[in-house]
Amino acid sequence: MEQNQPIISLQGIYYSYPGRRTILKDLGLDIFKGDRIGLVAPNGSGKTTLFHIIMGLLRPSAGKVNIFGKERQTEQDFMDVRRRIGLLFQDADDQLFSPTVLEDVAFGPLNLGKSKEEAVAISRKTLEFLGLDDFEDRITYKLSGGEKRLVSLATVLAMEPEVLLLDEPGNALDSGMKSKLINVLNNLNITYVLISHEFDFFSETTDRIFSMEDGKLLQDDEVYIHTHRHSHKVGKQPHKH
Amino acid sequence: MHIAEGILSAPVLIGGAGVALSGTAVGLKAVDYERITRVGILSSAFFVASLIHVNIGPSSTHLILNGLVGLMLGWAAFPAILVALILQAFLFQYGGITVLGVNTVIMALPAVICYYAFRPLLFKGYKLAMAGAFACGFGSVFLAALIMGLSLIFSEENFLEVAALIFAANLPVMIIEGIVTAFCVAFIKKVNPEMLL
Amino acid sequence: MITEPFTAGNSVIHSVDPRMKIVFAVMLSCVVAVANSLLTLSAGLATGLMLIVLARLDGRAVLKRLAVVFGFMALIWVVLPVTYPGPAIIALGPLQISQPGVVLCLKITLKSIAILSILIALVATTTLSTIGSALHRLGVPGKLVYLLVMTYRYIFVIENEYQRLMRAARIRGFHPGTNIHSYKTFAYLTGMIFIRASARAENVYRAMLCRGFKGQFHTLGPVAPYTQNRAFTVLTTAALIVILGLEIWNRISL
Repeated sequence: MEQNQPIISLQGIYYSYPGRRTILKDLGLDIFKGDRIGLVAPNGSGKTTLFHIIMGLLRPSAGKVNIFGKERQTEQDFMDVRRRIGLLFQDADDQLFSPTVLEDVAFGPLNLGKSKEEAVAISRKTLEFLGLDDFEDRITYKLSGGEKRLVSLATVLAMEPEVLLLDEPGNALDSGMKSKLINVLNNLNITYVLISHEFDFFSETTDRIFSMEDGKLLQDDEVYIHTHRHSHKVGKQPHKH
Repeated sequence: MHIAEGILSAPVLIGGAGVALSGTAVGLKAVDYERITRVGILSSAFFVASLIHVNIGPSSTHLILNGLVGLMLGWAAFPAILVALILQAFLFQYGGITVLGVNTVIMALPAVICYYAFRPLLFKGYKLAMAGAFACGFGSVFLAALIMGLSLIFSEENFLEVAALIFAANLPVMIIEGIVTAFCVAFIKKVNPEMLL
Repeated sequence: MITEPFTAGNSVIHSVDPRMKIVFAVMLSCVVAVANSLLTLSAGLATGLMLIVLARLDGRAVLKRLAVVFGFMALIWVVLPVTYPGPAIIALGPLQISQPGVVLCLKITLKSIAILSILIALVATTTLSTIGSALHRLGVPGKLVYLLVMTYRYIFVIENEYQRLMRAARIRGFHPGTNIHSYKTFAYLTGMIFIRASARAENVYRAMLCRGFKGQFHTLGPVAPYTQNRAFTVLTTAALIVILGLEIWNRISL
């Protein structure tokens, strides 16, 4: 694939949930290899919907979805996409359904056709990478919120994805867990898009910030996040100096 | 509502296991993995709802809601209830291994009957839907208590008085289940009607 | 709160292959359930208690679990001795306490506690995920095992949601009583639980699709080495033979 081709490209995407207003209207998005993008927008503006469209969990009513240089339409097309793009769900309880941590992390690799031994080896390696070495026999529902988040990240990383979509990964994390997550993201060397409401989180993990308005994506290339911390009025909104 | 271990005779236990097995097979056949995720999570909801205690005068009872489960799941109520009972046996030691079949039939058979009898009413007007849901809640516990009583009497004819006592004790439960099921259906119809489809 | 007090431990029973525990729990329970003589039932109870001792479980926690049957036992002890036909042992005024009635109550009580002890000692000492994969390897269909594991997993999430809803209702002054308002409130709470459960089911399935789920459910094999299989098999088989032998001998000599 050529370096200057986007790996994910959406054009003219429309989507509406049955019985509700149109949530995505003529949305366009280009993501290139190596991008580390932050996505910020008010609740209900369609961020999660956008992720689910990229994964093929929802099908747009109009528009083109082009991923890894191929137009994606059928369930079969998206099965390939799901192998190469990892989605971290907003609620870790949706993602962790197996009784023990090891079983949950091994679920993806097993589905990819790995043998039990390989799946266990990959899972152990991933848990170790995240500093969760001694977690494998832990019972998933007994983990704390932050631990659940990291384990669900492990379940996604165990699939060895090329791109990560992270739906509010910093949600409900204490500061210790958050810095751990920031560390992990900075060491990953992978393309990712993450949704968050926290600008200090963006400043440490992303290079570009996109936002959404009226069902459209605003690729705000001019605004680069600055790394100094300060506070002033409306300092929580993206701003220029 | 369940029968404890050690009371029923072998023929009743075996008969119950047979009916439960067939019902579960039919129920499992009807659902694919996408639906079964739903059945599983609704079965957890059913399990949690059965831990809810509501007052009746000075005493209290727990909700059963097998009628509601029937309305939502149809034949899949058999595997859903079987699994909930296995978990009750595992977590609280309510019931046990040998009565698992009979206990599944006690709750799941009325659920399936209510599915066929009352589900069509849910899509009629508000009043008919409420009446249908009440009848479903009331009827599912009525039938459950009836099957329970019959299993006792078939095991040992001298259980007649015990069976009658249990049935009588469940009369107020039937009324409460009817009321709760009616309001619950009204709520779901208003908030998220797609769920009943 | 739902707790599993017996799953942790490193006793003999905890070191037995879960498949064996399940198979023997089923066989022992069935034999005891159809047994008829007081002697056999006592042997069944002795077996159950022996297994509980071997599993080194906390006696008080076990008693608490056994207490679930006490209510029903109390009911039959009150009703059966006076309604069961047969020669009376004592007459209390107009009430005749019949001897076969008392014997029947005794049998039911022994049976009930024996089967429950077996369940606690052999099944409640295994984690549910282990039971799930053991059942799968014993030939239980994958769909049913998946349903079991899924239901178990989300009980805790949904119970938590219920507690939050209930707390919110209490904060707004909800005091449950015997009236329509209370029943309606419980109905709405339940409806909410079902709606949330249904929405969650959709997301869980999506998350599974994202991880390459294609309708094939895999279970990992056993994790812990099971060191006590032989001792356990010898012991429980001996118990089974004793119970069966006693029952057969009793039926022949009748």
